[in-house]
Amino acid sequence: MNPMSDTAGTYEDEGGLDPHDAARLLAQTQRKAERELDFHSPWLSVIAAGAVLVGFGAVWLSVREQHPFKGPTAAALVVLYVLVAIRIGTVLYAHSRASAGVSGRSARLERAEGAGLAAALVAVYVLMAALAGDGPGSHRAFYWVYGLTATLIVLGTFWAARSAVKEDWLGLALSIAIMLVAAGSALAGPRGMWLSDGVGLCVLLLGYAAAVAWLLHASRSDT
Amino acid sequence: MTADALDPLIHVPARLQIVATLAALPDGDVLSFTRLQDMIGLTPGNLITHLRKLEDADYLTSEKTGTGPASRTSVALTRRGRAALDDYTATLRSMLNGL
Repeated sequence: MNPMSDTAGTYEDEGGLDPHDAARLLAQTQRKAERELDFHSPWLSVIAAGAVLVGFGAVWLSVREQHPFKGPTAAALVVLYVLVAIRIGTVLYAHSRASAGVSGRSARLERAEGAGLAAALVAVYVLMAALAGDGPGSHRAFYWVYGLTATLIVLGTFWAARSAVKEDWLGLALSIAIMLVAAGSALAGPRGMWLSDGVGLCVLLLGYAAAVAWLLHASRSDT
Repeated sequence: MTADALDPLIHVPARLQIVATLAALPDGDVLSFTRLQDMIGLTPGNLITHLRKLEDADYLTSEKTGTGPASRTSVALTRRGRAALDDYTATLRSMLNGL
């Protein structure tokens, strides 16, 4: 049924509004709409902070005593991948809820952005496979450092570009900080980088969540 | 300045909510009728009536896709509708500053 062809409408709410009530209703509606149509929330960042701390922490515990470095244990990788899957699942769920009923230019842009991100990640792993195929097997440390750091830099670059286009300066600052933490952590080597990345990203994500929550609170107070 | 200076098409609770909600969408996006109804909490008949008034004033556009039970109606603010909300907000602000 086309709802616009339904003629069973009623004229409610035809009365005017007191200007103060109008201003309050306008601010409330704008805030509610922005919150419901945007899938980002401080809670998602808190979940991500917990996931990186526990996931990277589990891997660090499995490699910190390795001399020579052999790579994370299967159990640690299972923990990491399960947490990554939970993170992806929560983001997809929040995104599908926020974008229900919305169509048009944003959806097309998001598909194009997703394709670009996927291509960048595939390129990183193909390059890593090419290096692994040519190099000696004892260079496991290099591939783990390269794989994790390059993944974080690609994700950070993608999010930085996206944030800049949307003039989301807080998101841009977070993305740049993530890239710097990833690059800096690589200097800590194949064992220390997991701890450095885990703690660094956890702190950044918690700081970001707190800043977003504070901004939301401040915008409520202004109205 | 009196409340008469405010756009009477928008200065009604239901239509103010509709326009403010649609203005939260990025340019080029449309919102389905059912999602809009869900977000605002109006009955379908009431929402249709207000949407028609706004559409008649060229503040919004509606688009129907599909046929039969699977058909879907989407609405979006026009440039004129966004400008009207901006004017309404500016007038309201100056009115409240003057009080």
